[in-house]
Amino acid sequence: MNTNPMLNRNLAAERHASLTRRHFLRGLGACMALPAFESLSPFKSSAAPAAAAARVAPTRMAFLYVPNGTIPSAWWPEGEGGKDFALSRTLQPLEKVRHELQVISGLEDISAEAGVDGAGDHARAGGTFLTGVRIKKTAGSDIYAGVSIDQVVARQIGHLTRFPSLELTCDAVRKAGNCDSGYSCAYEYNLAWRSPTQPMSPEPNPRLVFERLFGIGSPGERVENLKRRQKEQQSILDFVMEDAGAMERKLNGRDRQKLDQYLTSVREIEQRIEKAERMPVINPATDAPAGIPPSYEEHIALMFEMLTLAFQTDSTRVATMLLAGEGSNRTFTEIGLSEGHHNLTHHRNQQEMIDKVKEIDLWYVKQLAKFLEKMDKTKDVDGRSLLHNSMIVYGSGNADGNRHSHNNLPILLAGGGGGAFKPGRFIKAKPAPLTNLFLSMADRMGAKGIERHGDSTGRLQAIG
Amino acid sequence: MITASKPGRLVIPRGSAAVRTLLARLVAALAVLAGSVSGAEIPAAVQFRKDIEPILKEYCYDCHADGEKKGDVAFDEFKADAALLHPDLWFNVLKNTRAGLMPPLKKPRPSAEDQQKLERWIKYAAFGIDPKNPDPGRVTVRRLNRVEYRNTIRDLMGIDFNAEVEFPPDDTGYGFDNIGDVLTVSPMLLEKYLTAARAIVSEAVPTVGKVAPERVVAGGRFRAGDAVPTRNGGRGNRTESLLPLSYYEAASVATVVRAEQAGSYRVTLELAVKGNFEFDPGRCRVVFRLDGRELLRREFGWHDNKTFTFEFDEKWEQGDRRMSVELEPLTPADQKINSLEMRIVQVIVRGPMEKEHWTQPKNYDRFFTRQASDDPVERRAYARELLGSFATKAFRRPVEARTSDRLATLAESVYSQPGKTFEAGVAHAMVAVLGSPRFLFRLEEPAGAFPSSTTASVDEYSLASRLSYFLWSTMPDEELIGLAGRGELRRNLAAQVKRMLADGRSEKMIQNFSGQWLQTRDVEGISINARVILARDSGQERQMRQQQEEFRALLAQRTNGLAFTNQTALGFTNGLALTNSAGLTNALARRQGFGNRRFNQPRVELDRDLRDAMRRETEMYFAGIVHDDRPVTELIESDYTFLNEKLAKLYGITNVVGPEMRRVTLPADSPRGGVLTHGSSLVVTSNPDRTSPVKRGLFILENFLGTPPPPPPPDIPSLEASEKDFKDHEPTLREALQLHRDKPLCASCHARMDPIGLAFENFNAMSMWREKERNQTIDTAGKLVTGETFNSVRELKHILAHDHRVDFYRCLTEKLLTYALGRGTEYYDVETVDQIVQRLERENGRFSALLMGVIESAPFQGMRMQATPAASNDPTEKSGDTKRAALNPTKP
Repeated sequence: MNTNPMLNRNLAAERHASLTRRHFLRGLGACMALPAFESLSPFKSSAAPAAAAARVAPTRMAFLYVPNGTIPSAWWPEGEGGKDFALSRTLQPLEKVRHELQVISGLEDISAEAGVDGAGDHARAGGTFLTGVRIKKTAGSDIYAGVSIDQVVARQIGHLTRFPSLELTCDAVRKAGNCDSGYSCAYEYNLAWRSPTQPMSPEPNPRLVFERLFGIGSPGERVENLKRRQKEQQSILDFVMEDAGAMERKLNGRDRQKLDQYLTSVREIEQRIEKAERMPVINPATDAPAGIPPSYEEHIALMFEMLTLAFQTDSTRVATMLLAGEGSNRTFTEIGLSEGHHNLTHHRNQQEMIDKVKEIDLWYVKQLAKFLEKMDKTKDVDGRSLLHNSMIVYGSGNADGNRHSHNNLPILLAGGGGGAFKPGRFIKAKPAPLTNLFLSMADRMGAKGIERHGDSTGRLQAIG
Repeated sequence: MITASKPGRLVIPRGSAAVRTLLARLVAALAVLAGSVSGAEIPAAVQFRKDIEPILKEYCYDCHADGEKKGDVAFDEFKADAALLHPDLWFNVLKNTRAGLMPPLKKPRPSAEDQQKLERWIKYAAFGIDPKNPDPGRVTVRRLNRVEYRNTIRDLMGIDFNAEVEFPPDDTGYGFDNIGDVLTVSPMLLEKYLTAARAIVSEAVPTVGKVAPERVVAGGRFRAGDAVPTRNGGRGNRTESLLPLSYYEAASVATVVRAEQAGSYRVTLELAVKGNFEFDPGRCRVVFRLDGRELLRREFGWHDNKTFTFEFDEKWEQGDRRMSVELEPLTPADQKINSLEMRIVQVIVRGPMEKEHWTQPKNYDRFFTRQASDDPVERRAYARELLGSFATKAFRRPVEARTSDRLATLAESVYSQPGKTFEAGVAHAMVAVLGSPRFLFRLEEPAGAFPSSTTASVDEYSLASRLSYFLWSTMPDEELIGLAGRGELRRNLAAQVKRMLADGRSEKMIQNFSGQWLQTRDVEGISINARVILARDSGQERQMRQQQEEFRALLAQRTNGLAFTNQTALGFTNGLALTNSAGLTNALARRQGFGNRRFNQPRVELDRDLRDAMRRETEMYFAGIVHDDRPVTELIESDYTFLNEKLAKLYGITNVVGPEMRRVTLPADSPRGGVLTHGSSLVVTSNPDRTSPVKRGLFILENFLGTPPPPPPPDIPSLEASEKDFKDHEPTLREALQLHRDKPLCASCHARMDPIGLAFENFNAMSMWREKERNQTIDTAGKLVTGETFNSVRELKHILAHDHRVDFYRCLTEKLLTYALGRGTEYYDVETVDQIVQRLERENGRFSALLMGVIESAPFQGMRMQATPAASNDPTEKSGDTKRAALNPTKP
């Protein structure tokens, strides 16, 4: 049975997490090296091997969020843009994947500006990033944002994969109640919003991500276990459904409405299980990772591995991942910084603090670089790299964390979009809503008929 | 028969369900009367024309007839009897005349006899209430709210599940979070329920029959020096506990644990670093030893709160084992900025790991009565027995055989799999129980198998749940369920209520009811700016603002002077430490000093301790009324309260020493006493930067007198905006509010709220006593809209507790009834409320009269029988209640 981390700390597992992670990564590396891994591909059965090169690979998209903005002077490359640009100090680690990289300036998130709502730039930056709408200032249950772009796309193409979308976070601890200046914490801890009132809670535990994707247990037992778990889940749903049905017959009027809410919810969960049964599970020949590793760096690396695996096995094509919740005050003892990230970003132009924030920005980009390099080395079904067939947005809804500015956001777009893009450029775009970029990406995902998203004013042609 | 009753007159207002219900009743009444009454007028209407119209003519027609239609009410424009009998109208007439709001003060009022005639007609004719058999109304099936879920899980499963963190907050209705109509279920919430069910069961229910024994050594058992406590002498009172250990002081602590058997053990050490949110440079080294052998040596730095866990596998002989923890500071104490401590949370000793020493796991007895047999038939019977009794507890009523069978099948489907234990199967079925709507919702049933009338008593299981969720916010205990099972609960109601109040769980009713009625819950989170408040009290706002502006100007000057681009310039808000211009530095220094010294006022912050004390003050005060069965008017007026040193200082009361809250008798002339002058009430009705007499007045109208004014019109300017009309000085709130009352549009409501709120002006927004506001002496004198005059808050409280005693009884009864029933009170509840108010009058306002009145009332004891599905699906039924809510707004 599934043990839940919030109640049942699996101490031994946590202790061995780092060991197991290495083991896990080694296993993954080993199986990556084998061309046989491609035999796991869902596309194999659908096309003759000779036609492999001509096979069309799906396009994937992911949104990676870093909190508190970045130090602009160290982020932006020099020059007027185009192909010939030198990577800035913060972006140095991306040298190996610069051929798949577009650095885009000029994008803005005006919904995150204070306006009439006053303080709360962190909550707003997080809550508006993928929704592009003003979020309701409330700390209560009446949270209201918008549908996020990943969910807009998932709604259209989600049926093609076992999971319409994947929501991940490397921020495991959540505060209750109020977060930033009277905004609900929901805005800082959720990137994906299925409806204006329903955030998609992201999963912090790599083990649970893996088990959700591929089932529990060793590679040999996993498919069986996944089926059994679904059967167990189904048996519970059957039981409560019968209970609810028996109750409903006795009820009338508003009582019945309450039960209907319950029954609708049960059916929705059932549909998810049913779909999971219909679609084949591609099972990587590796063990599941063990829980949340104690080191943040390892946590991020593992979550990136999960993301790579999910894309590689075509379990989903749409993903979001929070590296940390907006306003995060994490300390970076791994690079000798004991002050909180958020505290530091309010550097008041003290050089010492600015330098420390630069180090944090650089550290995050290093983690990104490792992920992108891996994606670049991983072969997709069409013989190209997984990165070539993806669109990975990395960025923040805050530009300068000191000033809480929301224009000229630090945004990277990695990947070739399946050949649609001409990456390897620094694009100096005219000021435009960030959502314009998202709309252009949605087009590449094959989403149809989306005229606007949030505050968008058109498509971002420049990424073309 | 309808044709006989002049159908042309029966025009039903569209969308008015209440009228439809009423109409159905009238038609039914007519069916009886049709034989005897010719012409078939509605009797209530006949009586109206005969007895009531003359009263209205005399006292109301000036403003509400002959073309006059004040407040959109006219008594001579009914198009039909059905419109004449509209309950919404008469509910308002009843409330306004009873409260003395109508007729207005300067107009003649009906005699007591006429008033009574009017009330009786409204209740028994217009509303059609049968006083001997009042309509109990209907409660929408209630989902457990977060608080109830947490408490129920604790009682059912024996573990604490933090539902407040895991589940989204519940919506509230009528000011309470246990209202059936607004407690909804979404797919996300159901998913959370199922996830929680799995997590709770896997935490609480053992899935194996035997495990290695486990002992937990609490961190507090570690003591300094050699005088470690013996393993069972445990208290260790000879040596002082040094925990938690500071990073800046060397320390060595130890304890002894006994290994009863030789074997392999696993020792788990849990340490927690407790730092401030703000960083501290401290580092320390911790060494953990077992019988002198070093098992761990590790350095720690700052974390705001983080737990570290270390495991060690050991082979032990039988006998005492000495565990020690040494802390060695690595940072000189003079570098300390904030407190930074190491806490030994606990040491878990598991073993011997050899199977022959294994024992039953913790909690095994709670869910299992014996070890399962190997025989499949016996196993299934045992599973059926266990799960039937578990579901009975969880569903709060016996389950039918079919449910037990289904649960046993569910368990069997798991434990019959290879590698699965019997216990794991039972646990799996328990997950289903916790996910069932019968657990998550409180389903109620009528007593008796075939009730035939339109109303019925709820069965005793439903009554047990109503009682326990009302008084304890949790599931009924075994005694309640046992009595219900034997059909003896109703017979023993008073004794059971007494028992339940004496039980510690009744604290929940006090917290949840008073916490929401008096908004005490909010005191912990409300934002209050002490600096601004104190500046206003001392009349130094202007200086404060000037300095702020000066500072901003200097900052802007400097920024421009250096020609910073927009990109790199500092934001004003964060530019505190911008330096070396002399003017700026001075401004900064002043500002800094300003922030710290607060104009030479003593430093006051509404910190967590103080807010906590305020909440406790009100809770303990309310608890005292409940447990000592005091008159409820003591909630308004008394000579005592509950304080600790900090709160007493804030109140300016001396001779209270120490952090613990205790009962304090107040000086004879003290304005405190009664919840209205508790810090909690005064703070939650204030703005962050000043008091709000309007909010304070409204608070009392809504929660003590039951006569809230309608919501304000849109686009009213704030008081701050009207301040500019005062050229010569900064106005007091009384002066600013006077502007409001001078406008006719605002006058009618503000004349009700403001005098009450202004009486509390001696208490600032943090509830501290003050004589002056903006350098002007505070004037608290005023006159209620009902005519009573007062000079001080003491006098006002006396008026409320005496002259308006009945209004208060009625208001409090409605609030407690709402909380107890999980629905708002309706027009048909008027008789129920009146009966409880009469009982309060008879029994000197004692709390027991109120509580037993509520518990014995028709709506608490009974339920409306289900109407035919077609009728109850009628959407207009809902609109009736919505309308009612609109007529009785809770928040302007």
